[in-house]
Amino acid sequence: MSSGPKRQSDFLLWKLPRGFFYVAILMTCAALIPPALIIRARSTPRDSRRIHLIQNMDNQPKYKGQQQNILFRDNRAMRQPVPGTVARSQMVGDTHFHLGTVDGSYATTYPSQVTVDMDLLKRGQERFGIYCLPCHGAIGEGDGPVHNRAMMLLNLAPSVSNGTTWVQPKNLREEAIASQSVGQLFFTISNGKNNMAGYAAQIPVADRWAIVAYVQALQVAGDASNESVPGADSLPEHRIVMDEDVTEAEVDEDKEGNGS
Amino acid sequence: MGRYHFVFPRWSNLLLPAIIVFALTAPPYVVFMVAWGFSPKTTDVGYMPTQPVPFSHAVHAGELGIDCRYCHNTVEYTAMAAIPPTQTCMNCHLQVHPDSVKLKPLFESYETGMPVEWIKVHDLPDYAYFNHAAHVNRGVSCVECHGRIDTMEVVHQVEPLSMKWCLDCHREPQPHLRDPDLVTQLEWGWAMTDAERIAEGTKWAEINQLQPSQDCSTCHR
Ligand code: HEC
Ligand code: HEC
Ligand code: HEC
Ligand code: HEC
Ligand code: HEC
Ligand code: HEC
Repeated sequence: MSSGPKRQSDFLLWKLPRGFFYVAILMTCAALIPPALIIRARSTPRDSRRIHLIQNMDNQPKYKGQQQNILFRDNRAMRQPVPGTVARSQMVGDTHFHLGTVDGSYATTYPSQVTVDMDLLKRGQERFGIYCLPCHGAIGEGDGPVHNRAMMLLNLAPSVSNGTTWVQPKNLREEAIASQSVGQLFFTISNGKNNMAGYAAQIPVADRWAIVAYVQALQVAGDASNESVPGADSLPEHRIVMDEDVTEAEVDEDKEGNGS
Repeated sequence: MGRYHFVFPRWSNLLLPAIIVFALTAPPYVVFMVAWGFSPKTTDVGYMPTQPVPFSHAVHAGELGIDCRYCHNTVEYTAMAAIPPTQTCMNCHLQVHPDSVKLKPLFESYETGMPVEWIKVHDLPDYAYFNHAAHVNRGVSCVECHGRIDTMEVVHQVEPLSMKWCLDCHREPQPHLRDPDLVTQLEWGWAMTDAERIAEGTKWAEINQLQPSQDCSTCHR
């Protein structure tokens, strides 16, 4: 054996056969693939259901709400009530409470199940905000955000607005509606009127009466004079100015949003 | 030449440390990858199916400001926050965009009475019981479990919905509670500092006397 430079022969790593390096590099690269896939899966939404190796009784042979059952022609697992039957909770025993009518004409008083107090008005205000505000606006003047958007669409070509037509939601404080009886208001909310759909399916009966009470409160408040508000003299004349500002700002914003 | 003797080359001394290094790194690597990769945060979060109608919460709940309960109107009364029936959309869409191709499946459903086949996004296993009314009426907002739905064009899952995730909140609900009247105001509280948010949550936990249960039978019944 000839003695080469001592240093070099000591450094064993360089004496390893080439194959070891290739294998090590390959394994390191391979080890980076799973984390890359995981990071991708974590950072991007995906369209496919999760992979489900172990089923764990996750899907049991039973039906939950709104599931599909192909045994029925309409694919609904939830069945409709048999025609001519009425669920116990949906019984219409008391037309005054459930339909807003007394002896075939609109009721003029609240039914005995409803007590008009501050709680009812608060409830009515909240429910009005959910179900009526989109069209009729926060104070019922018929200028809600959906109305504003629909008016914008009307200004566009029919090919862009896809044939949008729109009837302005009524100003709930105008005389023709302020003079209506509570029964008629209740009936309109339940069954709709002309271009407005009925809300009986979305709003429980008691809440509909609460909305009626709140609509009446809005009507009274709309006509109220300064004298009827305690301490009104000292209040600054803010409200009307603010309302205009808000609607104008909203419309401007909408226009910009649409243009871009 | 004499008989052949196999002699380990000198570099084979390196194999021992190499094997030790491999034995020390490989098992933790595998364990970590399985735990990380098969965690519901990887497999479940981000599920975003394409729906039959390109319905946008960002437009309806965000821009138009329609309250969640206008459409998901059972959420306060029942376990299930039902997907709205076709009629609910028709309240507006008989007049707005009636000829839109995007709304075609909706109008077909309206005419034939067949349901629109929405694809379920959030889906618990059938052995777990969940109740919307119990949470929503006690001041747990939609945003804690569904994220900022009002900014999503297409709904996707943002929370793992695993048992650990449920229990984390049931053990310490304070940072997640608010006034039950504000549960559908998803942007509420985002400008608060952590301390303010927890103080607010603690207040409502006391007002409503909340003690979320950790018994197995609460969720497995
Ligand atoms: C999708 C938009 C929309 C929503 C939501 C809506 N309305 Fe209307 N409403 C209308 C339109 C449009 C009209 C005008 C109907 C017509 O005369 O063609 C109207 C008319 C009315 C009228 C007048 C009926 C009459 O006698 O002329 C009342 C009262 C009324 N709405 C109350 C309500 C209440 C209360 C709610 C909440 C439960 C509500 N609306 C929700 C669109 C809406
Ligand atoms: C105009 C009606 C409407 C409004 C308002 C609305 N949604 Fe929805 N929501 C739907 C429809 C339709 C679907 C089913 C299609 C889909 O998943 O996008 C849905 C789906 C969802 C889902 C997914 C359900 C699943 O399959 O797991 C969640 C979560 C949800 N909505 C939460 C909300 C929240 C929170 C709000 C209030 C910020 C809200 N929605 C407001 C109509 C509405
Ligand atoms: C309270 C009124 C209202 C309700 C309820 C409503 N929408 Fe809309 N929707 C609108 C308005 C207004 C627009 C127009 C937005 C725009 O073009 O800027 C719109 C736009 C759309 C579009 C886009 C149409 C297009 O061609 O650009 C789709 C799709 C849609 N809605 C689906 C639905 C579905 C599905 C439901 C029922 C779950 C529903 N909407 C319920 C008011 C409503
Ligand atoms: C504590 C967590 C939590 C809160 C708060 C919550 N959800 Fe859910 N939501 C879930 C879970 C979990 C599911 C899946 C339920 C299942 O698969 O059985 C779900 C499912 C849904 C669905 C699909 C239909 C269903 O019920 O399976 C809709 C729609 C929905 N949520 C809307 C809402 C709305 C709107 C709110 C707020 C008012 C809300 N959720 C608040 C956890 C929550
Ligand atoms: C963000 C917080 C939070 C999350 C996440 C959460 N919960 Fe809850 N849960 C609560 C609170 C608060 C209560 C009410 C406790 C009380 O009334 O004392 C509750 C109550 C319940 C109840 C009891 C209902 C009853 O009848 O009293 C069930 C069941 C439940 N949760 C199931 C679940 C499941 C299943 C999940 C996971 C998918 C979950 N929760 C996730 C906060 C949460
Ligand atoms: C707050 C609600 C809640 C409570 C309390 C709870 N669980 Fe769960 N559990 C869940 C949910 C949700 C899942 C489904 C998680 C998933 O999607 O993988 C689950 C899943 C499970 C699983 C199946 C896990 C798997 O992937 O196979 C077991 C086993 C289980 N729970 C046992 C228990 C036991 C034992 C207790 C009591 C110590 C308990 N759970 C209490 C909500 C709960």
